Amino acid sequence: MAPVEVRDLSKRFGDVAAVKDLSFDVEAGRVTGFLGPNGAGKSTTLRALLGLIRPSSGSATFAGQRYDELERPGSRVGAVLEDASFHPGRSARDHLRVLAVTGGHPAGRVGEVLQQVGLHEAADRRVKGYSMGMRQRLAIAAALLGDPQVLILDEPTNGLDPPGISWVRELLREQASNGRAVLVSSHMLAEVAQSVDDIVVIAEGELRAHGTLEEVLGGGDVPATEVRAQDPLRLSSALERHGHRVERNGDLLLVLGATPAQVGGIAGEAGVAVLGLAPRERSLEAAFFALTGAPA
Amino acid sequence: MTALLHAELLKLRTTRTFAALVGAALALSLLVVVLTATLDNGLTEGDVRLLFGGDFTGLFILLLGAIGITGEWRHRTIAGSVLAAPERVRLLAAKTLAYAAAGVVLSLVVTGAIMLVGTLILSGRAEATLGLAELADVLWRNLAVAALLGALGVGVGGLVRNQTAAVTGLLVVLFALEPAIAILLPDAGRFGPLSGAPSGIVGGFDFPEGKLLSPGLAVAVSIAWAGATFAAAAASLRGRDLV
Repeated sequence: MAPVEVRDLSKRFGDVAAVKDLSFDVEAGRVTGFLGPNGAGKSTTLRALLGLIRPSSGSATFAGQRYDELERPGSRVGAVLEDASFHPGRSARDHLRVLAVTGGHPAGRVGEVLQQVGLHEAADRRVKGYSMGMRQRLAIAAALLGDPQVLILDEPTNGLDPPGISWVRELLREQASNGRAVLVSSHMLAEVAQSVDDIVVIAEGELRAHGTLEEVLGGGDVPATEVRAQDPLRLSSALERHGHRVERNGDLLLVLGATPAQVGGIAGEAGVAVLGLAPRERSLEAAFFALTGAPA
Repeated sequence: MTALLHAELLKLRTTRTFAALVGAALALSLLVVVLTATLDNGLTEGDVRLLFGGDFTGLFILLLGAIGITGEWRHRTIAGSVLAAPERVRLLAAKTLAYAAAGVVLSLVVTGAIMLVGTLILSGRAEATLGLAELADVLWRNLAVAALLGALGVGVGGLVRNQTAAVTGLLVVLFALEPAIAILLPDAGRFGPLSGAPSGIVGGFDFPEGKLLSPGLAVAVSIAWAGATFAAAAASLRGRDLV
């Protein structure tokens, strides 16, 4: 059973379907990027996972248990919400003390996580004087407080400067290398591409792709081929029967994981006339935009 | 539940709002007692009871309870609080108990202070004072009112959620609506949540002779008000998506 399991999750807000039949897993020891443009349904999915909103159907669980069924949830799951908010008149240390008491965490963890996120010197200042980056660090400190095996982070690099973004990337890698399952959402592929092992791509509430970064976006050494055919439907079926992933854009097919020679061979076997054939080297961002329909 | 209660009490103690309201309740209550005990002559034991029963803790803890729960929405900390304590009704119950307990502590401090200062001034002027049994009787009534109004404030705030609307609404009911009902319909007004029933507990002077509820019934009515608002707030919080 995976540490995080989302199964056929749907959520409607009135007439608006925010998430539609979404399913994916997050594995231990890996960082999974949860990607999609703004409004794709990422935050809704994560909030359903964390028990903050009720799914219309389907489930989102941690090793089979809903968040509100977990015993001492803060020791199992650490979360950073997109709009992490704090009482402006309370200090960072007091904020964490409240969470430590609530979650039954040792009081000594407060100082440890403040040190870990680099807020120890500002810990006794009231939060209303904090910069956006400091608030993000405090939110991350709160997530780490219970030393959980699963981390859920919704746009954790929002408001961070480049060193801060780099720090988050290193933190994610470090957490995964210690065996934790990390799910991090972002609308900016570039911000997470260097630190994720797997990605889940959603757009308009629907799953568009799920797998390793290379598998999904055709980056790295995985070949990709653009082919224009007289009967693109038949060629697409033939390519998929051979295990290749095909994205269709009118008559143009983008075949992931296949060289032009392989595509040509399969087209020949299927008896489909090929009108054009070329290797495709596309950037990760371009592939992401193609998957999500976001403008490049 | 104990951990949640401790956490809520810690939340209360770690903002300046609580300290400011404690100071304001103490200062206002002492001011009234000092002025009355210093300037009034010929006070009866009944007058002194009313004087010592008039601590402002109830008003301040009522507002503090409403500010405490609506602050979770205003500062958007409610999602974080629910993450830490996913059983929402228990979270609300802990907050309700915390403000009731804070009301008791606050009232103990304020009533103790006004009794001490008032008795010193009155005895120095050879005016009537209260014996220990009378003081204890006034004290428990004040503590009960503060505890129940603290809980009621949380319930009302949890239901309304908007801080300005909750505080304004409570002040309008307390200072305009209930007094008007008490004058026009005293038989109904004595069951009011903010003034009617609490006056029955402390033996106040807001109602015509014989119209106050008995202390026991007044406590029961106040518990019913606090329970009803808690139930409504709990139902609202339990079913709400925290987007």
